[in-house]
Parts: sequence; structure tokens; C-alpha cells
Amino acid sequence: MAFVNLQNVTYKYPLTKTPVLQNINLQINEGEFVAVVGPNGAGKSTLCYALAGFVPHFFKGEISGSIEVAGAESSKSTLDEWVLNVGLAFQNPFNQISGAKYTVFEEIAFGLENSGVPRDEIRPRVEDAMKLTDISNLADRSPYSLSGGQQQRVALTSILVMQPRLLVLDEPTSQMDPIGTREVFGVVRRMAEGGMTVVMVEHKMEWIANFADRVIALKDGQILLEGKPNEVLTSDLLAENGFGLSRYTSTAREAKKRGLWKKSNLPVTLDEAVEGFS
Amino acid sequence: MHERLSFYVQRSSAIHDLNPLTKVILTLALILIAFTSPWYWTPHLLVLIAIIPLSFLGRVAPEFFKTAIRLILPAAGFLFLMQAFFQPVGESVIFKFYFLDVTQESLMFAFRSSMRVFVMVSAFTFMLLTTHPSELMSDLTRRGLPGQFAYVIISTLQILPQMQAKAQTIISAQRSRGLDTESSFLKRAGSVVPLVGPLVFGSLAEVEERAIAIEARGFTSKKIKTSLHEIADSNSDKIIRWVLTILVIISIALKIWLS
Repeated sequence: MAFVNLQNVTYKYPLTKTPVLQNINLQINEGEFVAVVGPNGAGKSTLCYALAGFVPHFFKGEISGSIEVAGAESSKSTLDEWVLNVGLAFQNPFNQISGAKYTVFEEIAFGLENSGVPRDEIRPRVEDAMKLTDISNLADRSPYSLSGGQQQRVALTSILVMQPRLLVLDEPTSQMDPIGTREVFGVVRRMAEGGMTVVMVEHKMEWIANFADRVIALKDGQILLEGKPNEVLTSDLLAENGFGLSRYTSTAREAKKRGLWKKSNLPVTLDEAVEGFS
Repeated sequence: MHERLSFYVQRSSAIHDLNPLTKVILTLALILIAFTSPWYWTPHLLVLIAIIPLSFLGRVAPEFFKTAIRLILPAAGFLFLMQAFFQPVGESVIFKFYFLDVTQESLMFAFRSSMRVFVMVSAFTFMLLTTHPSELMSDLTRRGLPGQFAYVIISTLQILPQMQAKAQTIISAQRSRGLDTESSFLKRAGSVVPLVGPLVFGSLAEVEERAIAIEARGFTSKKIKTSLHEIADSNSDKIIRWVLTILVIISIALKIWLS
């Protein structure tokens, strides 16, 4: 039995006419790192909310099919129980700051306080999580005084510290520089190797190819393609459906048309491109 | 940029070490005694023997006097003038101002009521200066205050400066598109509209995301919340609270008995 199991999930927000998710079937194993790609409006964020329990518990609307994580079914659970197993961090870091805390350290401890973790455990867990994402130096700053990228790290740390079994990330690096992005992907990879299951919506194809185990391409609420990163991310289907390809893939596609790319499969990362062109 | 988000001044003093609830009770006791005590000079005396010495004991005297002089005194002074002129009591007219009589009684009345207001606002100021808002709220939550209520108080304190900063960003954005913010009053009044729209609707849209974010961190969890900071509640705190409660009861009892 897969750790995450979506069966025929179709979902419609209360105010939309057409379903945002249509017949999604998806199985993810424990400790797997799955990346989700897709153009705007493909339903990526809705899929994240569905995994994290906010669809349908928070947004209401009509849902059919079943969503199971760690053997529990979403429709039979309540949101406050569900979030203990499934952590969600999303794109806009500013709105993820609780507003109830005056320092970054307290901000990260917020989730642990809410879930009733004893005081002696909170401090070491927050310290460990901050070391993991390399923000220990921000501990005493006000969360509002940070840059967008720093706030995104705080938002990610605030979820990691709760040690969810499934980590759902919706564009967690959108405001980060390349170094920050690489570090976040590295942290997420390590978490997956430690047994945490990860679903991450991301546009940065090179990083996905380097770090993720599997890619799901979403379009108009349906799964268009899924498989190994370098197969999915170089597929012609993606290029034809308006997905943004990595610059290396696009370059090599053009080169292939002109007979300059000799290998059968296209590159996603710099290393693959360098190897193929030389 | 927004490092300072509350009145709180971090110092180490006997007052800072008190339990937050003790300080709330102290504030309420000062106010209740000032308003109920039957003796005329009580509010005046409270300022001299309680509030001012306490601000020194809490090592926040400079900040306290700054707020008192800039904010509380002008407000109390205005109240004093209004009461002195418009309170239709007493016979012994001291002077006339057109049709308004200032009597000895109205002066006495005005002096006391403005002093009561002074006690009320300065006691609150003193509490805010010496109590960290999140410590106060986690202590009150521990004692049974609903978490949602505490959240509303704290997040409002934090979000106001954020709204201010956002309003500034929107003003700059609209000015760069040619919005007039420097000419005549009427024109400027008209230019408030394109500022308020984005500010209010933007903030409403943010509420949903923030709700998701705190929900994802177990905000509505039914488990008993714990707290990162241990908040001291010593025996002397308990004694102080009892003494203050008794003083308030005596003050109210005297008021009822004597009237």
C-alpha cells in the first residue's frame, strides 16, 4: 500500500464552474521526493491543499474520490489531526508569518506550542531545525524584518520543526537566490532520505532533475505525464503544452532541429548539456 | 526596520520580573480605586505614591514621563478644561467667559475626573512598558483565555506597523503612476480612494492565506498548548494579587457604604 494514495480525486471550489482537479490517481511511497510541474492554473496549488487537508476541509467545495496519507483517509479525519501528519508551506512567505510572535525563534516554536510539545523538547527541536536550514543567525530577529528569501526559509523551518511524515511545499524557493534554492533542495533531499515523503511544486527544472525522484506534470487539473525527472522534463509533450522547459532542454531542442545535438535524449541540467555538446 | 513593535522596554527590574497577570491586576486595581474611592484626593495621591515611584522601580521612568507629558497630560488637560467650563454645578462663580460659568465646584470636579483619566491611561502605559505582550498573552492563555482571543490581540499589535508600511508602498506606487498627493486638500482627499482600495482588499485576501498558514501549524489543535517561555508566578505574585484585590474591595465597599 502506497504511503500517499489518491484515487479518482475530482474537486471543484465553491465558486468555480469547472473542476480544478480531475480524476487524479497518484501513489507515492514513503521517503519519495516527488516534484510537481505545470503551467499557471494547472491545479498545482489545489493539489497541495488537497494533500494537506485544506481541500476540502478549509475551502469546502465538492470533492469525490479518496485521499489517503499514512493509512488515514482525509474525508474521515479533521483538519487539526491531519496537519500533525502533513506539513504545508506555500509560496508567499509574508503571509506565513503567524503574526503572533516577536522573534524568529518564537515563530518557529509556534507550531510545537500549538501541538502541545513539552517545553524541554521545544528548544532543542527549534535549534536543530534552524541549523538544518542554516538560519540560526536569525533567531533573535523579528520575522517581519527579514528579506523574502529569509522569510521563506523561516516558513519552511516552521513546518520542518513539526516533523510531518508528508511534507508539501508549494514553490518554497520562489523568492530565493540560486544559493538559497540549492540549499533548500539539499535540505529537502536529506529529509526524504531520512524517511520523510515530499511533494514539491517547483518551476526550477534543473534543480528538480538534480534532486527529485519523480516528476508529475499537471495540466488543466489532470496528470499529463509522470515518471523519472529527465524523461518527463525533456518530453515533447511538455514543450507542446506550454510548460516552461529548462534553458538547457530548450537550447538542446533547437540544436537538435539543426542537427547539432547528437544524443537521443535531451539534457535538463548544465552537466548533461555540457556532456552532450562536447 | 520593524524591530520595535510594542511599547515594551526590555530592562531587568523587579517589576519586569513580576508575573504578567500581577501587572494586569495592579493596573486594574489602580483604576478601580481611582474611580471608586470616596476620598477626593485618592487619584492624585495614587499618581504620586504609586504610579510615579513604580515607574522608577520598573526602570522605565524616562519612557513613562515622555509618554505622560506628550500624550496623557494634553488629553487630561483638555478634559479638565471641558469639564471646568461645561459642568453646570456649584454656586460660587470664580469667573465668567461669555455665557459659561466656571465655579469652584466645577473646577474641583474637573480636577478629579481628569486626574482619574490620567491614572487610567498612565497605569495602562506603565503596564505596557513593563510587560512583553506575548508573555502576557501566553500567561493568560495558560490560565484559560481562548487562544484565538490572544492571537487577535497580539497579531493586531504586530500587523498595524505592517499595514502602515504597506500603505506607504501603495502611496509610492500610485504616485509613480501620477497620483497627486501634494496639491490642494480636496484633491488629496480624493486621492485617498485609490490607496484604501488596495490596502483593504489586499489585507482581506491575505487573511485567508494567514489562516491556512497558522492552521497548518496546529493552531486549532485540541491538544493543550505549551509555551516556549516559562513564565514565573511566585508566591509574592500571589500575595500582591490578593492584597490588591482586597484593597479594591475595600474601596468599593466604602463607596457603597458612604453613599
